[in-house]
Amino acid sequence: MTRIIVVTSGKGGVGKTTTSAAFASGLAMCGFKTAVIDFDVGLRNLDLIMGCERRVVYDFVNVINKEATLNQGLIKDKHCDSLFVLPASQTRDKDALTEEGVERVIEELKAMAFEYIVCDSPAGIETGALMALRFADEALVVTNPEVSSVRDSDRILGILQAKSKRAQDGRGPVKEHLLLTRYSPKRVNDGEMLSYKDVQEILRIPLIGVIPESEAVLQASNKGTPAVHLQGTNVAEAYLDVVARFLGEERQMRFVDYQKPGLFKRLLGGR
Amino acid sequence: MIDRSIKTVEFKGETIPVVRLYLRSLDVQQVESALSQSLGGSPDFFDGELAVADLGAVGDGACVPDWERIREVCSARGLRLVALTNAGEFGDGARAAGLTVLSRAPAPPRRASRQPSAKENAAEASAQTASAPAADGSASLLVERPLRSGQQVYARGRDVVLLAQASAGSEVIADGNIHVYAPLRGRALAGAKGDTDARIITTCFEPELVSVAGIFQTFDDGIPEALARRPVQVRLSSSEVGEPTLVIEPLTIV
Repeated sequence: MTRIIVVTSGKGGVGKTTTSAAFASGLAMCGFKTAVIDFDVGLRNLDLIMGCERRVVYDFVNVINKEATLNQGLIKDKHCDSLFVLPASQTRDKDALTEEGVERVIEELKAMAFEYIVCDSPAGIETGALMALRFADEALVVTNPEVSSVRDSDRILGILQAKSKRAQDGRGPVKEHLLLTRYSPKRVNDGEMLSYKDVQEILRIPLIGVIPESEAVLQASNKGTPAVHLQGTNVAEAYLDVVARFLGEERQMRFVDYQKPGLFKRLLGGR
Repeated sequence: MIDRSIKTVEFKGETIPVVRLYLRSLDVQQVESALSQSLGGSPDFFDGELAVADLGAVGDGACVPDWERIREVCSARGLRLVALTNAGEFGDGARAAGLTVLSRAPAPPRRASRQPSAKENAAEASAQTASAPAADGSASLLVERPLRSGQQVYARGRDVVLLAQASAGSEVIADGNIHVYAPLRGRALAGAKGDTDARIITTCFEPELVSVAGIFQTFDDGIPEALARRPVQVRLSSSEVGEPTLVIEPLTIV
């Protein structure tokens, strides 16, 4: 059985692509055959974050238009043998994504025995975003702890339940997961940021994880390494927790409480 | 180049929503001040919606109406007055002023101030817009999933019961009562066809706007501490004299 997961948010810049890359890598590290598709046609980013931009020959739109086979479009990840990337086109616009085309690609991936298909949605609520969520069974709703991001997530949750094929066919609602990113326990403690409990109270969907704000994410993006591979960082740990929870494991939330730096830590210049 | 697969002219029978504007006076000044009063808080409440003026309740001895000015007054508030109904003796004057006079219209409800506006009903996100009328007018419309930002639900001719939250940016409209057994954070408009006995009842009161039979209130300065996030009911005051006012009070659960 193939599960299709859309990574979506409504708002831009909240960490969808970072999450797609880390989450898909995490699933693949657990041994699952996983594909990650970039739906952000015209503004491709996923291949950069996955570090495979120089190996892109054919893209998602080529495959949809039958200018290339799916096998030609899929790029094998350099870290995990069971992970494949289908990059977006840089030169087309969003109307290149047709529902029939997307459906055909997804059916082909299913036939190739992929266990998870991760769809990296563009921001907004237009064609690209609608196509990314159209065939989803589950959704990771990426939200930053601030009001406009929360409002956009609320909006996308409504669209998800109205526009996904699963919901329209009466196969039950899309399973929703809230993922908070760029979370700073210190700023929450100082009252500058919504707490994860506040966000959960507004959106009222199950929380699958909290990813702390970290400079490591930027470094990882620049290096083209998904954040889960940054061993020893709290971001990698937090994403691995997300994957474990997604696969049914119970894990306590980490990196959500602010610990005041002690005297020694301050004297020694630790952060 | 003409694409021959596209017909130049096509006919379709469709229902297009219009606002029915009940005029009890045809005096320009009176109409203007009444519009200002009822739309005071949100002059952009209407956004170019079509309006049909219903003259069924115009009092005796009305002056000769200046339709040109009445149209201007309406359009200044986003209502495009295009036609009249129940026009009676005013029909000829209105026709001369370029307004369409509709022959017959269904009997007006007791009181009406607002037809639900469809403008928030963004087509892409309104799968929950359910508006089928109840056959006997009794069964309520039951909504069990959250009503999210940008979504709208309209219970035509009946009550609506929400068992999940109505998020900020959503809109719940009912011709009857609105019950929300969860946080009410969006807009709630009960008695949309003018039922002054309609009520809004919620277990967690945090709305952006509440309205009963067109009398509405927003909460620019926040919701009073005594009501915020508590069980609350909203109704119209039952005073016999003067305009009714909204009563928002804690709901005592006995």
